[in-house]
Amino acid sequence: MSNESASVDNTQSNSNSGNGSSAPRLEAFNLSKRYEDGVLALNNVSFQVAPGEIYAMLGGNGAGKTTTINVFLNFIEPSEGEARIDGIVAHKEPLKAKEHIAYVSENVMLYPNFTAIQNLDFFAKLGGHTGYTKDDYRDVLLRVGLQEVAHNKRLKGFSKGMRQKCGIAIAILKDAPAILLDEPTSGLDPSAGLEFIRLLGDLRSEGKAILMSTHDIFRAKEIANTIGIMNQGVLVMERAAKDLEGENLEDLYVQYMAGHTDSEQDVEIIS
Amino acid sequence: MFKIILDKELREIIGTTKFAVTFGVCAVLILLAFYVGARNYQISVQEYDASVTENMRQMEGVTDWANIDHRIFLPPQPLAALVSGVSNDIGRTVNMDVRGELRPEGSRFAEDPIFAVFRFLDLEFIFAIVLSLFAILFGYDAINGEKERGTLSLSFANSVPRDKYILGKIIGSFLALIIPLMIPILIGCLMLPLLGVPMNADSWLRLAMVILTGTMYFAVFLTLSVFISTLTQRSSTSFLVLVVAWVFAVLIIPRSSVLAAGRMVDVPSVDEVDFEKGKYSAQLFDERMNAMQAWTQANYQSDHRLMMEGMQAFRSEQQALVDEKMGIFVEQLNQERDNKADLRTGVALSLARISPTASFSLAASDLAFTSMDLRASFVDAASAYQQEFADFMRSKNADFGGDVFVGHGAPVVVEEPDPIDTRELPLFAYEPPPASEAINESLPDLGLLFMFNAFFFAGAFVRFNRYDVR
Amino acid sequence: MLGVLIEKELKSILQSPKFVATFGVCSLLILLSVFIGINEYRASVAQYETATNWVDQQIAEATTFENLPTRVYRQPSPMQIFVSGVNYDIGRLSQISIEQDVKLEQSAYSDDPIFAVFRYIDFTFIVQVVLSLFAIVFTYDAINGERESGTLKLVLSNPIARGQYLLAKLVGSWLGLTIPLLIPILIGLLLVIAFGVPMTETDWLKLVTLIGVSVLYFTFFIALSLLVSALTRQSAVSFLFLLVVWITLVLIVPRGAVMAAGQLVEVPTVAEIESQKDRYRADAQGDLRATSNLRFQEMMAPAQGFGEAERRAFYTANIDLYTEETNRLRAEMEVVIEQNNRRVNENLRNAKAEQERLAFLLSRVSPASAFKLTAMNLGGTNTSMKNRYEDQMLAYRETYNSYIETRWQQEQEEQEQLLASQRAGGGRNVNVAGSGNQAIDTSDMPRFVASEESIVEVFLASILDFGLLTIFTLIAFAGAFFAFVRYDVR
Repeated sequence: MSNESASVDNTQSNSNSGNGSSAPRLEAFNLSKRYEDGVLALNNVSFQVAPGEIYAMLGGNGAGKTTTINVFLNFIEPSEGEARIDGIVAHKEPLKAKEHIAYVSENVMLYPNFTAIQNLDFFAKLGGHTGYTKDDYRDVLLRVGLQEVAHNKRLKGFSKGMRQKCGIAIAILKDAPAILLDEPTSGLDPSAGLEFIRLLGDLRSEGKAILMSTHDIFRAKEIANTIGIMNQGVLVMERAAKDLEGENLEDLYVQYMAGHTDSEQDVEIIS
Repeated sequence: MFKIILDKELREIIGTTKFAVTFGVCAVLILLAFYVGARNYQISVQEYDASVTENMRQMEGVTDWANIDHRIFLPPQPLAALVSGVSNDIGRTVNMDVRGELRPEGSRFAEDPIFAVFRFLDLEFIFAIVLSLFAILFGYDAINGEKERGTLSLSFANSVPRDKYILGKIIGSFLALIIPLMIPILIGCLMLPLLGVPMNADSWLRLAMVILTGTMYFAVFLTLSVFISTLTQRSSTSFLVLVVAWVFAVLIIPRSSVLAAGRMVDVPSVDEVDFEKGKYSAQLFDERMNAMQAWTQANYQSDHRLMMEGMQAFRSEQQALVDEKMGIFVEQLNQERDNKADLRTGVALSLARISPTASFSLAASDLAFTSMDLRASFVDAASAYQQEFADFMRSKNADFGGDVFVGHGAPVVVEEPDPIDTRELPLFAYEPPPASEAINESLPDLGLLFMFNAFFFAGAFVRFNRYDVR
Repeated sequence: MLGVLIEKELKSILQSPKFVATFGVCSLLILLSVFIGINEYRASVAQYETATNWVDQQIAEATTFENLPTRVYRQPSPMQIFVSGVNYDIGRLSQISIEQDVKLEQSAYSDDPIFAVFRYIDFTFIVQVVLSLFAIVFTYDAINGERESGTLKLVLSNPIARGQYLLAKLVGSWLGLTIPLLIPILIGLLLVIAFGVPMTETDWLKLVTLIGVSVLYFTFFIALSLLVSALTRQSAVSFLFLLVVWITLVLIVPRGAVMAAGQLVEVPTVAEIESQKDRYRADAQGDLRATSNLRFQEMMAPAQGFGEAERRAFYTANIDLYTEETNRLRAEMEVVIEQNNRRVNENLRNAKAEQERLAFLLSRVSPASAFKLTAMNLGGTNTSMKNRYEDQMLAYRETYNSYIETRWQQEQEEQEQLLASQRAGGGRNVNVAGSGNQAIDTSDMPRFVASEESIVEVFLASILDFGLLTIFTLIAFAGAFFAFVRYDVR
């Protein structure tokens, strides 16, 4: 498939890059993934996330959001196409690529018998940072909103929100240029969700490229620079957030879910 | 309501892969145990027949009854192949003599230590070890697993009485697990007569009781698992606790109890008792020699034949006296030792019965007649036979004194006599006690298993009534 | 990076409450088994000393060398503390006499069947059964557990090669589980010293080797659990699978193999053998009696028509020659009987050896068998223990019998002289056996001293099993690596 007839309207998102260079940090390039049983989990997905940009990927369960993230992490290899991080192809040089990303999974579990700080310490070292002090960990945990009393408690007793905060703390400590988040606000109460979004904004200001998959339309609208909608492995819509200002994102979402697509090509595919 | 819960329990268990796998393993093992047991029994019977035949054969051609070596053998018990107990540890052969103590020698393990290395895979082993694990595997998350999955709170969002719920759980699990197991067990039972194991009504009754006991034992571990499940919040915790409990109940407590009792109760060793007997016997021998000497000097006469006759008569008299004294002494010594040994056994088994596995093993070996009673029974039967044998030998004038009369006098020269007719020898027939006796022996252990069940059941009941279902 | 992972693995194990509980139980059991072993050993030693003292006493009080029987006992060895093997199953003693063949009788279990009801608990048992379970309980979810909790994804979102990760798992789990277990083991060794158990240097060497094999056996189960964990997605599945494998390897295969061999290789029963020997002896004795009767008749033939006094004189003149010849014939007979016994025993041993070879070959499919067999080797309580002792006792019997024969000859000569002087003095012929009431001098009697197997032999025999365990472990490790490289971490 040529770039010309790419199924996504993405010319506008590029001009939305924030501070920093405009070369995309995260790039999906004609990504396709077909499983042995014939299921097409990703169908020619392409998008870009520039430094200082938040890209929110919406879509139903099984739409392909998590699959996309898994390709960036090289947990699965694409059947066609490439996922690139800072120009490094994920499935060709996975170890090098992983130096450039931080990851927050959907349900952050971590090690139950380690304290919050012990967990942070371990993952920081894995990420290559051996120089952090206890105070550094403390500071980051406070920054993400975890009260000090919990810092030295074992993760076993943490609520979902507390664990999520630890997850984001780990990502912050890794200090990588790109961050991948899989459904980060699911299960968080409104105030925790708000805190989280604010944090993401701070990270964006630091110049990080952030890819976030989510169900939460409203948060997406609040914080994202670009919004993409996935349906059955196809990226059926991609718009700059400010273009959607006046519109009712909910209706749009439902529309796209029902089968509407921005591209004629995809009409064939979907119908 | 109860039926609904029962139904769900049954379906939940039987449909799973876990059930299919564990049931498959158990079924294979049970069938294997029956098959191998039957084959082993056949081999034991062949060995026994060969021994008896050989024993007769080696006596043919002997010309003097006094010179025969006669042995009696313990016939194999049909159920010993399924519940080996101590049947392979006790001697199966007794060297028969007209007088003196009888001691079984030549146990299976002593003669073939290879079998002692890993021992036998019998039905009792499978019940005791594998079935108990099976019960734990299915019962450990009976309650806390449902809580973790969220289905417990969901169930109790309906008007379900707590006691019906726990009852349904326990009975449902029990039926779901034990009824399928009956299939390989029944097939195994059918295999026995087909493979040539002679089962009479007595043996069937015993076997049925063994299976019943096994079922109760299985239930103990099931109720225990459910009980522990109501005591802990997380299923991983209850599982760990149950594995530890299993290790202790099955492997540690029975053995340690016996060894502890061995140290606590001082029983004179068999050697010590033998030595005492030997000392006394030597003492009696000396006394008799002196008496003989005295008599010979007092009654010397030139007619050699008359003298020999008189000597024989005096000797027989003396021998009878010695036998009596020795008999009393041995009786007393044995009694003392037996009393102490019985005390030790009592302490050992009482301690061991802390573990339901010990209760099960003891009951099973009582029923199969492979407990320590087998040895006592064999020795008793041998002693009774000894009377018969002694009478027979006396009638053949083959009853010499305890020592061999070696003299430097002229050997009595006669023509070569005819060989003995071995068919004249009375046969040793061993009959195990009837099943009713065995069942009586096993009743205390059955009762104990029942109590374990009741206790854990009650515990689960009570705990669950106050269980936090959220 | 590797260091970070290993460190986390170690901490993760040591900080889990599961570890505290199970480690506590294992330590308790290890110490219990050593403690029980030491107690049983001391009891055996006490029993042995009582028995041998009594035998000595009996010999000291004997009044004649004629057919003087004795008994020899197996001396308890300290290694039996750790590996009881077949020690309690085989006989403890053998009668030693001219007439009887050597045979170990009266095993500890047959004397006191209460101990056979549940059997013994020793260090080898704890390692074979409990520690292997311990290894499984800790490592069954090494890979799939991390996957289920999502930490595997998180870890692998960092630049870590899969091989590195698995290696760290291996090393970390091994260190976290094995090193702590060395503590109760060392305490056990201290107990052995504290209780004054007489361990020779060879014994210590064997013990250290036993501990080494135990560690290797334990490592196999760690490797196996890692392998299964890397082959399955759910930890519940890997646990069930490992449990079935454990039951099969530890409980089923060893027994099954021996029983299979028992059915495949025919061995004559001991009853048959004993009967054969008895039969042969009875025949030979019958022949001897017939021959000596004949000789006697021949000897006395010339004295047919004599009167009593002349008859007696003739008898006295010729009896010595007759006795000499009869004794010679008897000695020859004994030799022949002996040879036959050896032959029959040899046949039996060969048949049994073949059965055993097959049984153990089949059973070595399971590392649990390999472990137990090599442990019994090191402890000197393997199945050849019986043969070893019987051989040594046989050799002793020869020495002893010839000693007895020589002294008996001397005694007879002395008695002859005594009788001759009595006769000369006109005393009456006393036809009763026994030389008198004074004790015989047994100070130069040869004693039975069992020699130990050479350490070289023991180690050579253990090499096979060591090698087997190592191969099993390496295969499991390799399998785990291969499986993990392809593992779906999502």
